[in-house]
Amino acid sequence: MMEYIDNIPIYLQIKDILYRKIISNEYELGSQLPSVRQLAVQFSANSNTVQKSLKEMTEENVILPQRGKGNFVTEDPEIVEMLKEHIVKEMFDATYDKLHSLNMNDSEIVASFNKYINQREGSHE
Amino acid sequence: MSKVLEINDLNYKKNNKLILKDINLNLDNGKIIGLLGANGAGKTTLMRLIAGVKAKNSGQISVAGIDNKAARKSCVSMTYSLVSFRKGMGEKNTKVKDVVKFYIDIYPDFSFEKYQAMAQFLEIPCDDKIANLSTGTGEKLVIALTLARQVPLYLLDEPLNGVDIMARKKIIKSIIQWKSDDSTIIISSHYVKEISSLLDDVIILKDQTVYQVSSVEDIQEQNHLGIEEYYEKVYEGGLDDE
Repeated sequence: MMEYIDNIPIYLQIKDILYRKIISNEYELGSQLPSVRQLAVQFSANSNTVQKSLKEMTEENVILPQRGKGNFVTEDPEIVEMLKEHIVKEMFDATYDKLHSLNMNDSEIVASFNKYINQREGSHE
Repeated sequence: MSKVLEINDLNYKKNNKLILKDINLNLDNGKIIGLLGANGAGKTTLMRLIAGVKAKNSGQISVAGIDNKAARKSCVSMTYSLVSFRKGMGEKNTKVKDVVKFYIDIYPDFSFEKYQAMAQFLEIPCDDKIANLSTGTGEKLVIALTLARQVPLYLLDEPLNGVDIMARKKIIKSIIQWKSDDSTIIISSHYVKEISSLLDDVIILKDQTVYQVSSVEDIQEQNHLGIEEYYEKVYEGGLDDE
């Protein structure tokens, strides 16, 4: 079952999860999304809530509803690329602000990030 | 949207004690609504009044436009405890399939097809004796029986009580899977966090009356609170301070 953050509307959290699945190519360009009911069961959420997530995704041109068929992921890779940039920026925003609050300057942040990546790569081997 | 439930100035007394007072409610079609309130707040009483199994003292209740108490019973499907079945049917050996047959016999709106689909999903054994069912399986059976009737309004009274986490998850999924789009479900539960992703709105009962009806989204967006936190604050009287 999904673990939701209590004080953020569920439809936004579901939209975010679906966007990540599109960016990671779990839902490929042009592919059909599961039905509203299937998504609702999968997310343990109300169908109205899932509808609202899909409505916003449609308004943001990431998915396209086809009459009587369901919802399809856009075929335009640029839209997905923009989505990815947006989400990556959000993640960096949060991290960058936290590091700054530790009184680190930009070059220290870059240096410690490089060190971090090297350590991670080392631990993978 | 049309109204599935309208309650005007409802009052209910038991042994001269006021249990519910000045209840006014208007609910739209198609939603899942949480009914929250402390023990003794009157959640079960309110549901029984809506279902027409209990008589009100004053006020008006109508379901899908029907206010006659007897006629209302055919518009509402409420969860009933299995204990009452065992007593009512008077046999120690009552099996699951006997209760299902009972439902088929007395409710013309009961869909056996829907029941079977739910029973399969929830893994309800049809030949087991009611007396031998675990609490979890018993609640699963109650949910399947209640939702298999095809009516505008369903009342689920504490369907997760005493049920382990795995069974709770399955029951929640079955509610989502088998709720028809135009029907409305009112569900009471102390597992507020677990059912919150299921809910459109919440009704909070406090001081014998409807304290508030709010959309879950509004509570999250405007108050920046989870439903459980919000509900606790209402009871502690802490919301006025903000």
